[in-house]
Amino acid sequence: MKVLLFGTCLVDTFFPEAGEATVRLLRRFGAEPVFPKGQTCCGQPAFNAGFEAQARAAAKHFLWEFDGDDPIVTPSGSCAAMVKHHYPRLFRDDPSLLAKAVRAGERIYELTQFLVHVAKAHEAGLRGKGTITYHASCHLTRSLGVREEPLTLLSSLKGAIFLPMPDAARCCGFGGTFMAKLPEISCALADEKAASIEATGADTVTGCDSGCLMNITDAMRRRGTRIRVAHIAQLLAEGL
Amino acid sequence: MSHEQTSLAFRENTVRALKDSPLRAAMRHATDTFGTKRADAFAPLADLEALRDRASAIRDDVLANLPMYVDRFVASATRAGATVHRAKDASEAREIVARVLSERGARLVVKGKSMVSEEVDLNSHLEAAGMEVVETDLGEYIIQMEGESPSHIIVPAIHKNRRQVGRLFADRLGVPYTDDPQALTKIARKALREKFLSADAGVSGANFAVADTGSLVLVTNEGNGRMVTTVPKLHVAILSVEKMLPSLADLPAFLRLLPRSATGQTMTSYVSVITGPRKAGDATGAKELHIVLLDNGRTEILSGESRDILKCIRCGACMNVCPVYRAVGGHPYGWTYPGPMGIVLTTLLTGMRKSHPLVDASTLCGACVEVCPVRVPLADLILGLRRRKVREGFSDPRERRGMEAFGKAAAKPALFSLGQRLAGAFWPLVRALGGKDVAGRMPVPAKTPLRRRLP
Amino acid sequence: MSEAERERLFLENAATTSAGTRSVSGTEALLSALGEIVAMDSPVYCPGVTELEKAAAPLFPVRVDDYAAAAVTVEEVFGGIAETGTLVCSSEGGRAVQAGLLPAHHVAIVRRGRIFDTLDDFFAALSGAPPTNLTLVTGPSRTADIELTLAIGVHGPERLDIILF
Ligand code: SF4
Repeated sequence: MKVLLFGTCLVDTFFPEAGEATVRLLRRFGAEPVFPKGQTCCGQPAFNAGFEAQARAAAKHFLWEFDGDDPIVTPSGSCAAMVKHHYPRLFRDDPSLLAKAVRAGERIYELTQFLVHVAKAHEAGLRGKGTITYHASCHLTRSLGVREEPLTLLSSLKGAIFLPMPDAARCCGFGGTFMAKLPEISCALADEKAASIEATGADTVTGCDSGCLMNITDAMRRRGTRIRVAHIAQLLAEGL
Repeated sequence: MSHEQTSLAFRENTVRALKDSPLRAAMRHATDTFGTKRADAFAPLADLEALRDRASAIRDDVLANLPMYVDRFVASATRAGATVHRAKDASEAREIVARVLSERGARLVVKGKSMVSEEVDLNSHLEAAGMEVVETDLGEYIIQMEGESPSHIIVPAIHKNRRQVGRLFADRLGVPYTDDPQALTKIARKALREKFLSADAGVSGANFAVADTGSLVLVTNEGNGRMVTTVPKLHVAILSVEKMLPSLADLPAFLRLLPRSATGQTMTSYVSVITGPRKAGDATGAKELHIVLLDNGRTEILSGESRDILKCIRCGACMNVCPVYRAVGGHPYGWTYPGPMGIVLTTLLTGMRKSHPLVDASTLCGACVEVCPVRVPLADLILGLRRRKVREGFSDPRERRGMEAFGKAAAKPALFSLGQRLAGAFWPLVRALGGKDVAGRMPVPAKTPLRRRLP
Repeated sequence: MSEAERERLFLENAATTSAGTRSVSGTEALLSALGEIVAMDSPVYCPGVTELEKAAAPLFPVRVDDYAAAAVTVEEVFGGIAETGTLVCSSEGGRAVQAGLLPAHHVAIVRRGRIFDTLDDFFAALSGAPPTNLTLVTGPSRTADIELTLAIGVHGPERLDIILF
């Protein structure tokens, strides 16, 4: 099955390893990922900051790059939620783009959704190691409604122990441009998240959104905590 | 005491709050407790989602027909013997209340908790007119004594710990120091009982106004709301126009949702349904009841894209789950209403010019949307206000230039790639040039981005 | 809901709000329950208007006409709501609803036939103009304004006793 891979601007620019891991996972489960070369960003930074025209420009480009009927897979809950829930608003006055936007929303999968519901990766006996805890990112959980899939995958890892995190779905303080506009609160929230992670005693923390993981990594660095932060794609791909 | 709006200094306010460790401990404790209590209270309730839908639909209907419901309320309340006043803004509301009270020679006024009275800054106005105004809700009593404003719409002194309250009471009331909440409560009971019995008038808010019957509904726990509305001979209620419910039959849905959302109770101790003043043959009720219906910009909100905020029933659940509110408390928001609903209301009621930093005071994490009992789409409303902020030119010029560049690059892959490479090359420089708040917290861009690693 | 079920639910829910609850049958049992509950609380305000109040009043040697000066109010109330263990107090018939508010102890007698299943049933049964004051009472007066720690008896009663008759 051909799937279009949306890497997301953050993974593309800062965390290409998570993108490569996504490709390995998709291939292992029989999908043929294609990376549309012209892809850029879903437009969320502009959309969330209130710059609708710029968000629309990005979204329009996305719809053009990802046109067609193939499923779209992305290693980000936040970007998937942007396409699914906010694109229709951006094109509410443009019937042809609106139809495309709605269709894209139906075609897009956050990675763990695809791995569980389409690829059944949790039944493949992937290996893991050490102790793992999981941060449930905001848009993944509350906007996309993806709560169980990452847990299903992580608890299926043979040889790894999953340790639940208290208040796993509380915001880490990233919030896109929020981290730049109100850095003090952003750091305070990331600190609290880091403390919850430390309290689990896990040696690795994972999640489905690299923005959050980046913010958490920074808090870990400030606190001098030596807990590994890895995107869920990387953890899963290591067990192939 | 009068409080200047400080929303423009939101960031500075939060920096101060973040350094206040008793405040942060109090906020963590309070929001954690609220979270558990709320979850426990809703757990046994079958079909919560259907109940939320029903309450939301009732509020939608009220907003869709607000002028009709307000007229109906005015007619029924008048028929029941109340005098209804319409106030178009804060100053009119203050004038009306002050006039009603002073014409009847009121000197001592006991007050129940009312966020609308905070919104119009009623107390300072009445005090300036020579009246003694005593807040009687325990939390309001504490902050009035301290000269503060509420930091939460349900629990106004949520930012204070028991030791701070103990010291305050010892200092101001001359009682021996104690930090036992039960003992502190007793002290307040005694001090306030005298005030209730000698007050010339009671001023209250209302949670709901019932259009069909002209009734005011007060949902309370302490009993001060009952005192204020039944003990003095004059009762003045001040509430905003959107508090309407069509009929008493609509009330149960809200009585099931409001206490559970607000304090995690199945039911509050008291729900008072007050219909007009004391009538012939009655032994309960104020002899005279005046109802002040405040508009203060709500009619305008009603016709705009943020109208759903008027569905709000002031339960406070959205602030209890808000990570930003949890970290800094209510005071940094700088006006009457804090938290997610406060961001929206403050911006709409006081204007973008006085409050625009607030619209950025959200990570858009959606926790508020998940708990709001009447489905106010808070995240969407905040997004709408951010668009308005941009439209009205209140955004930072650097952000604007950055976003304009982003918009161009996002639509042109070559430009986007170039930007990526430039960012990689200049990252150390950006960090060095004081970009530590942002660039310093992000990793250095990868040497080879994903797009150049894949076939 | 059967009558027995309704009564059980009413008492059970009332008990979770820290109200004292009893269920008695017959005037004698009522009077002896009142005697135990009121015990040393004095003076007593008892309106002596309903039949039950008339029967109860002689039980209390020190009575006052001013509820603000009473230590306890003993009265029959309008009804109850099973869903929440709530008492309904009404100003109908010239009753002083605040008599159940000012004294530190409130003893409310509710007749079995006056219990409604749910809040909806109660409000649906209200026809015409409501009385000047309708107060739903669920447990004693309380606050959590200091550190969200529950404290009982702020401005209203710190003790609420319900007798189902
Ligand atoms: S917006 Fe919703 S959650 Fe927030 S106070 Fe209003 S009703 Fe409660």
